Amino acid sequence: MPQLVFLTVFFAALLALGGCSSEPEPGPEPQKTYRHSMDGTPTGLDPAHASNVYAGFLVVNLFDTLYRYRYLARPYEITENLAAGPPVVSADGLTYTITLKQGVRFQHDPAFDQGVGREVSAEDLVYSLKRHFDPEVRSRGSWLWRDRIQGMAEWQAQGSDYDQPVTGLRALDRYTVEVRLTRPFPQFVYTLTTAHSALVPREVVEARGREFGTAPVGSGPFRLISMDTTRAELERNPEYRREKIDLAAEGFDPLRHAGLGLESVDGREMPLVDRAVVDFVVDGASGWVSFTAGNEIQYVRLPPDLFDQALASRSPPRLKPDLEQQYHLHVTPEFGVTQIVFNLDDPGIGYQPDPEANLRNRDLRCALRKAFDWDQRNQVFYGGIAQIYPGVIPPAVPEFDPDADRSSVTHDPEGARQILQRLGSAENLPVLEYTYNSGVAQQRGFEQFRGQMSAVGYPDDKITRRVFATFPDVSRAASNRELQIWVYGWTMDYPDAENVLALFYGPNRAPGNNVTNYANPEYDRLFEQAAAMQPSPERTAIYRQLNQMLIDDCVSIAGVTRVRAYLTHRDVIGVPDRELVGGYFLRFVDVVETP
Amino acid sequence: MMWQRWWERVRQDPVTLAALVLIMLFFGVACGSWLGLIGGGWSDTSSLLRGGFSAEHWFGTNAIGQDIFQRAVFGTGVAFQVGVSVALGATLLGAVFGSLAGYFHQRAGDGLIGWLMGVIESIPFYLLVAALAFAMQGHNLAMYLAMTLAFWTTTARLVRAETIRLRQMPFVEAARTLGVGQSAILSRHILPNTSHLLLIQFTITFVGAVKAEVVLSFLGLGIQDGVSWGLMIAESTSDLLAGHFSNFLVASISLFLLVMALNLLADAMQDALDPRFSHPADPGPAEPSPAEPSHGT
Amino acid sequence: MNTSGLVRHGLLQAVALVLGVTFLGFLLMVYFAPDLSYQLAGKNPTAEQIQQIRQQLGYDQPLPVRYLQYLQELATFDFGYSDSSGERVTALLARTLPVSAALLLPGFILGHILAMGLGAVAAYGRGRWTDRLIAVVSGTGMSISFIVVMIAFQLVFASSYGLNWFPARGWQWATPAQYLSHVAVPTLTILFVSSGYNTRFYRAVFVEQIGQDYVKAARAFGYSRTRTFFRVILPNSLLPVLTRVLYSVPAILVGGSLLLESYFGIPGVGKSTFDAITSGDQPVLKAVIALSSLALAVVMLSVDRLYRVVDPRLRG
Repeated sequence: MPQLVFLTVFFAALLALGGCSSEPEPGPEPQKTYRHSMDGTPTGLDPAHASNVYAGFLVVNLFDTLYRYRYLARPYEITENLAAGPPVVSADGLTYTITLKQGVRFQHDPAFDQGVGREVSAEDLVYSLKRHFDPEVRSRGSWLWRDRIQGMAEWQAQGSDYDQPVTGLRALDRYTVEVRLTRPFPQFVYTLTTAHSALVPREVVEARGREFGTAPVGSGPFRLISMDTTRAELERNPEYRREKIDLAAEGFDPLRHAGLGLESVDGREMPLVDRAVVDFVVDGASGWVSFTAGNEIQYVRLPPDLFDQALASRSPPRLKPDLEQQYHLHVTPEFGVTQIVFNLDDPGIGYQPDPEANLRNRDLRCALRKAFDWDQRNQVFYGGIAQIYPGVIPPAVPEFDPDADRSSVTHDPEGARQILQRLGSAENLPVLEYTYNSGVAQQRGFEQFRGQMSAVGYPDDKITRRVFATFPDVSRAASNRELQIWVYGWTMDYPDAENVLALFYGPNRAPGNNVTNYANPEYDRLFEQAAAMQPSPERTAIYRQLNQMLIDDCVSIAGVTRVRAYLTHRDVIGVPDRELVGGYFLRFVDVVETP
Repeated sequence: MMWQRWWERVRQDPVTLAALVLIMLFFGVACGSWLGLIGGGWSDTSSLLRGGFSAEHWFGTNAIGQDIFQRAVFGTGVAFQVGVSVALGATLLGAVFGSLAGYFHQRAGDGLIGWLMGVIESIPFYLLVAALAFAMQGHNLAMYLAMTLAFWTTTARLVRAETIRLRQMPFVEAARTLGVGQSAILSRHILPNTSHLLLIQFTITFVGAVKAEVVLSFLGLGIQDGVSWGLMIAESTSDLLAGHFSNFLVASISLFLLVMALNLLADAMQDALDPRFSHPADPGPAEPSPAEPSHGT
Repeated sequence: MNTSGLVRHGLLQAVALVLGVTFLGFLLMVYFAPDLSYQLAGKNPTAEQIQQIRQQLGYDQPLPVRYLQYLQELATFDFGYSDSSGERVTALLARTLPVSAALLLPGFILGHILAMGLGAVAAYGRGRWTDRLIAVVSGTGMSISFIVVMIAFQLVFASSYGLNWFPARGWQWATPAQYLSHVAVPTLTILFVSSGYNTRFYRAVFVEQIGQDYVKAARAFGYSRTRTFFRVILPNSLLPVLTRVLYSVPAILVGGSLLLESYFGIPGVGKSTFDAITSGDQPVLKAVIALSSLALAVVMLSVDRLYRVVDPRLRG
């Protein structure tokens, strides 16, 4: 049987070739490595382009910002990072004076004089903020400061020459910056925690040109070794300023953080690990496989699909005993709000010149909201642990009203049916068009929406869909006011409800972020009034009033804040947070021998 | 005569017979789904999430409580819809362009069509489909159009070669001397004689389209309206980790059985109708299968 | 036609092909691509800002102008910087192409060797049980979806739910051991799926050869079966085999393996290209289209050449 011999030899050879590879060799690994994962990819490492959470995570580790959020304090609290102290604000709220820490140096780079990183100075902040208003840079963060800094618009109009001064943005001396605003903007200090505000060295940016985003140089606790479409590798910045962790100041609570071993990092110098590897794993199942493999990523989001498998209980969330022995569970609400929004520019469901028709459309929107079943949504998509609340002010901000009337988020099919009947026969109802981007979950979202609407008598054939290939396509169509009904998520930029209420401010209408094109002069007036106010009970009252206007006008079906469950291996000492603390978490994380 | 020979062979070959029966069975299910007799409740949700086998849900339910059996049935309809329409379109295009190119062999038309085929074949398949899907803004027909566009060239190449051969046959020469017009020669004398090729290619393209749909749906570029086996596989990756295999198995086994049966049928047709075909005189630059290149484009 | 005429004809064809591919690719992937300006404008843009970016990206130019500009870039092979990451496009290709090649080549080579062996066994045992067994196996391989194999193999070989022999995902190739462990599961997947098609192909090639008179003659002269295979059959099968192999090269080089790369998180050119298509990153797409058409033209020309070298009938 020569054939048989032939075959046997063949398979033996194949096995020999394939099988010799099972033992992953340790190799010359440097000392202490933490392996993080993210469920998306960064938009770029240039602070001016760091517009998603993934980019932000890396940018705040490679660069320095003036302020950051305390590691463990919740609700979120701001604290100094590169700034030496809180800003000094003038009585009219228009002038901010900020002092920088001394002796902070950029990472070494050939573009510096003799290749040695020079000291970070006030001029660097001035340069870094100016960059956002240079059209050549294509900043994605300029909206944070647009029309807010005196003289910036003029500077831009005169051709964005960096050697020309901006009246409202000056370095008073080597370590002091003065910012003058065009109008009060109490949230200004928050914008200085964002990745967009990070400080970049002018000479390196100019030497690299467009490639700065792939080879960034900053003064953050880490520096970049490599990055591609699937992962980024960072290593400790040996030049990083010697700062020690003050656990109490970071908001450590022995009760809330019991059993995590955090005490061991107190008083030690940041960052604690030598190397941080961040894998970009978009697919939840794939991430889970990698996480449970044991020697790969040490942090993963627990997909809601696996809650039944992994959780012993949901409130309070607890892991099953066998998993508990291997992993820590961290449950954090997302810092933002997700809603199903209506485009009020759409004549079918939005504004009508005729007051009566206008009211009919508002009633129709309210009927859709009553027909919508948040609990079912929560069960199917968010594992039943999401926060659902009336309007757009989420529980994570101080202005949230825990005692608000919940009728706008209560499933009321009977009420919906009554309104629809009052509006007349089914033929008179407009065709609804629900838009989503292609994907299994998104399609399920539509099917559920349609099911709930048809359950209250909305004709099935009048609930149509429009599918775009990707999410950016949906955003683009929203910017062009082409959509009717879709899911709109907003990640908040700072812990102040102003950030979400601005989504309904008239002058922000699309292509700005007021995608519903809500136009209510009374709302705009109150919003402007509140925007200039410092935090106070009076301001909170106005915020809640604004929220109630949105509910009364049925602008959207709102809202939900997803609560995400994350797991870390037990050898990781840290409390990861994807939200405002975000990348600032990395300097506090430690990896120990498995306890 | 050719068909009789084929039927004789099929009758004697139990494997092909079984394949044929299986295809008819799937086709019956697809018809049932089109007529709305079965599988109509594919999108209805129930409170039973990831349920196991039961009398009510034969193959259990998925993560949002939809009946897997009904979804598989609906997916069968979609598979046939995709397979038949793409195969029909690609075979038609291939027949027309292939016979034209062959008839005008070594003239400008041949060169032009050859160039067009070369151009289309040199863009990697999935990139072509993805680009088209985006260019058409996620339109429902984008996938059908893209697959048809990508698949017709293989058929055209075969038809072209056959036409070149037929053109020199005495009966074509005779027709020409009798003054029969070019279009009549093509449509009455040449194309009918390529019908066996077209049928085989139809089957092979059918297989290619069904398999490609799975990949495209997995990438989010496939079926937009409804459910398909590809979407079932795409949504099953998290089920697998939860130890719930039924979604994955039902979809991939259905896919496997249909594709296997069609492949067997194509083989049997090839053996019976076109024995020359199995000779690789000129394998050409085309991929072995239009849809799933051997090395995963 | 004399030799120089043939060469000129071949060159002409190659140029026509490059022009055709670049135009079709440009039209589909660049001209009709998603408009990136909305994404680049950030969270709360003004209409002017979007207009400005559209201008910078050249969306406001008419099609012929943009295509001509592209041809100019093609001539200098300078496509600028990625609109998404700011990376130089040539650097991006230099980084991703080797990864894709390293990912696919082991499966490609092993797949062909395996298929050649199986095809030879089947061809020699035509109609016997070995042939039937191999037919069943290759038929099965041809009928299983690539995705199903990929998902199943990851679960079986590279997860804690199965054997957990290899990394579940990712890519490292600093050391040979790292490389082997990361390439193992993708290679097995490729082998499983490609062997069916390739085995059939090789079987058909060898069956035809075995029937040839010179093969029979060699056997009659007392050549052993193995010797006939390696000395007579294999050299004479070179033409179809080389054609098949060569025409696969551009697809491997440029197309990469989108599915493997995205599922296993491997930074190859397939994933980069797909990302560029979904986001509308024009410079990257332009470069990829250019590269794939050039690779194909080179293959076409060399196949032409090879035919003449390998097949004496075409010489002269």
